Amino acid sequence: MEGNILIVDDDDIVVKSCDSVLTPEGFTITGTTDSTDAIELIRDNDYDIVITDLNMPGVDGFELIKQVNAIKPSVGIVVITGFASQQNIKDILQLGIIDYISKPFAPHTLLETIMKATYLVRKIKAIPAPEADTEPDAKKKTEALNNIINEFKAVPGSLLRVLESAQDLIGYLPPSVQRFIANGLRIPVSEVYSVVSFYPYFTMKARGKHHIRVCVGNACHAKKSGQIMTRLKRNLNFNDDNITADGKFSYETVRCLGACGFAPIVEIDYDTHGAVDPDKTLDILKDYH
Amino acid sequence: MPALKVRATVRSINKLTIEDMTSIREKYKDPKRIGAKASILVCGGSACKARGSAKIQETLSDELQKKALDKDVSVYETGCNGFCNQSPVMNVYPDMTLYQAFKPDDVPTIVDEHFTKGQPADRFVYKDLKDKKSIPNRQEIPFFSLQSRRVLSKSGLIQPDDIEAYIFHNGYSGLVKAVTSMKPKEIVREIKDSGLRGRGGGGFPTGLKWEICMLMADETKYIICNAGPISRSIIENDPHSIIEGMVIAGRAVGAAKGFIYVREPDNLFILRRLHTAIDRARGCGFLGENIFDSGFNFTIDVSFGAGTFICGEETALIRSMEGKRGYPTPKPPYPAQSGLWGKPTIVDNAETFANVPLIIENGQAWFRSVGTQASPGTKIFTLGGAVNLNGLIEVPMGTTFRTIVEEIGGGLKKKSTLKAIHIGGPTGGVIPASAIDTPTTYEDITAAGVIVGSGNLIIMDTNTCMVNEALTAMEFGHGESCGKCVPCRIGSRVMYDKLLDITEGRAALEDLDMLQSLAFEVRRTSLCGLGQTSPTMVLTAIKYFREEFEAHIKDRWCQAGKCRSLSTFVIEPKTCTGCGSCARKCPQGAISGEKKKPHLIEQAMCIQCRSCFETCPFSSIRIEAGVTEEVDSW
Repeated sequence: MEGNILIVDDDDIVVKSCDSVLTPEGFTITGTTDSTDAIELIRDNDYDIVITDLNMPGVDGFELIKQVNAIKPSVGIVVITGFASQQNIKDILQLGIIDYISKPFAPHTLLETIMKATYLVRKIKAIPAPEADTEPDAKKKTEALNNIINEFKAVPGSLLRVLESAQDLIGYLPPSVQRFIANGLRIPVSEVYSVVSFYPYFTMKARGKHHIRVCVGNACHAKKSGQIMTRLKRNLNFNDDNITADGKFSYETVRCLGACGFAPIVEIDYDTHGAVDPDKTLDILKDYH
Repeated sequence: MPALKVRATVRSINKLTIEDMTSIREKYKDPKRIGAKASILVCGGSACKARGSAKIQETLSDELQKKALDKDVSVYETGCNGFCNQSPVMNVYPDMTLYQAFKPDDVPTIVDEHFTKGQPADRFVYKDLKDKKSIPNRQEIPFFSLQSRRVLSKSGLIQPDDIEAYIFHNGYSGLVKAVTSMKPKEIVREIKDSGLRGRGGGGFPTGLKWEICMLMADETKYIICNAGPISRSIIENDPHSIIEGMVIAGRAVGAAKGFIYVREPDNLFILRRLHTAIDRARGCGFLGENIFDSGFNFTIDVSFGAGTFICGEETALIRSMEGKRGYPTPKPPYPAQSGLWGKPTIVDNAETFANVPLIIENGQAWFRSVGTQASPGTKIFTLGGAVNLNGLIEVPMGTTFRTIVEEIGGGLKKKSTLKAIHIGGPTGGVIPASAIDTPTTYEDITAAGVIVGSGNLIIMDTNTCMVNEALTAMEFGHGESCGKCVPCRIGSRVMYDKLLDITEGRAALEDLDMLQSLAFEVRRTSLCGLGQTSPTMVLTAIKYFREEFEAHIKDRWCQAGKCRSLSTFVIEPKTCTGCGSCARKCPQGAISGEKKKPHLIEQAMCIQCRSCFETCPFSSIRIEAGVTEEVDSW
């Protein structure tokens, strides 16, 4: 596994032993015994994970964690400590670290923890950064959602239409939105969830700026839509939630778009592209910025 | 057939009278009266759109302006011609010359030859497949002349958004007749006598359904048009025919409210077309209150689902319209007795509704003049796969598959041999090549073990692996199962796993019998149409191609080379000329050999993409059984 890691411990042996466990696994390791030095390093370099001791001369672990959170909030922190008292653990967890390891530790414990932490950090980094004007935007959206709910409140059987409009507005239907709608329409949240989870049109995950649908129905399958999928995946680097790291594209496969006469079909946002040549899949994406 | 561009005039906002409709028909009979010598009808179907029909219209307008013809020749976009194989397509009215398979750059040549020289531009007209003779006239092209287009009669010839063009083609005269001069009972009797059967796949007699609904005492009743993907072509081409059919249905059963159910809420193109059509029809007084002073009211709304196959089933569709999960419910009670919100409801698909005005206008005897006794009328099919001409066709029921494949479809593609015909869409099944003389009626298709379903025909050649096709069908079956009843939810999953075992060489012969009996039970015990039809492919594939399943299991041999673990591509050294064309095509560089000497495929590198098999001009590549990997037992 790849990852850029900084180890801060006043005890040189800990730094060396971490290095000897993690380097063979593909991680890039930087070690320091001076915590003041560490803050400089964090400021100047792009680390995925910082491993730190708690009890250190000068800047101690608690202070270091606070500083890291201030300078680079996206860096994941793992604590190694010999003083694993209940209070200490509670304090550091509240500071927002990923995990802690008690001394002494077995090499595989260290490795597993670091791998998990790297994985988490990657995932967090892949989520697109919120836009600057989140606050007023959220307010506007809440208002718009309220309007939708009020419009359909009296219409029986309008749940699907409310959800469609809400998804159109927000882009997806996370649990908070589902609760909001359930409250507004005065129906159980379970009913809203049962509908959202049933219909493939609704999504509980955020989508990219442009959403790509690749049809894998039997006509498109016969015309090699599988190859289109492979090309997209190979070139766009989707994460586990099928979104690209820059949040520009997301994809899903659908079973039939009802345009079998011109298979294979790729739909991007509201545009239907027919008879897509798998070799030219990426050319279509050029028009979407 | 005449067809001219009609702009929405101010007048059409006012309610029309019967006299107005007659005058519209008179007006457009003579093209000179609206100031055009000719019209160019550019096909705007999905296929033609993808090949640049918008660009073609632009170039046409420019070109006509350049040649100062723009006053005499109008250009407009129509719905799909169904001739998708040859796209893009455009017709020139009045001489009905059809131009096909050209590029936007060819437009100047066509305009020059057709309008300046007065000759059809021969390079771009259709050529007969056998004797390569040019056939410029649309009506003489076998693909069109062998069809009998009733529901599709206006497709490709009118602008779908234009209500006056629809009226000109005798549109809305069925509605006027039904509303002004027929009693509801008479309408139901006419439909019942016509023998029209639901075109949504099940084939339930439409008249009987309407009668049940008519006899219910409830005051509120509903009409629902199920506009799933199958109906997409009719909505795209001729939305008013559906509206007219729904109004007649409302009049017959005593309903005042209709819904058109569209499965995907993001299908903006279809929604825009439906909303435009409904608005125009309301403006002209075909919808709304007191239609043609009969005291009969009827309105239509568009309703959406959220994209799932099960919502094509009528009870599931109704649940989805009520804002719930699209779970089907047991029948009886039928929706005609207790449907939407517990009220009697007629659910039919768009093709059924589009047939209704034609029956009312021309009478049941006319409707019965084509088709068979038990399956009268025509049926729309989508034709695809290994035939020369694919597209959208409408034929009298009872036409044999041979006529469809060999004459309308122009026979099989070069180097292809017919293996089977897949009928009925994702939950349909196959009939073998030997059953090609089966007539296309509900009875004969059901007797062959398959379903009419969506009317989708895929012509399969010998390169198709039936086991693999069954696997794809079951992947669809278990993926789309709503999960309500056990046979469908679990049965389809187990069938999928078994088929996967067969295609990957892990199955024994007993598994085949187990698969067959399981498929039979799923069909017998599932609650709704989806579960009852999703095993069709498995059942028919085993019924007609059992030896192929056995070859997969016993010999680990997929003769079509589609199942990767069960096939090996080998070059026949005796016939290989060493031309090297396969080596150039191979994406893996797995083929090597000296020029003019037999080549060799390095099996370890081969990914079985089939490109060498498809390329070889001498058919020197054989597909042999899969290599059994020796596994050390311990």
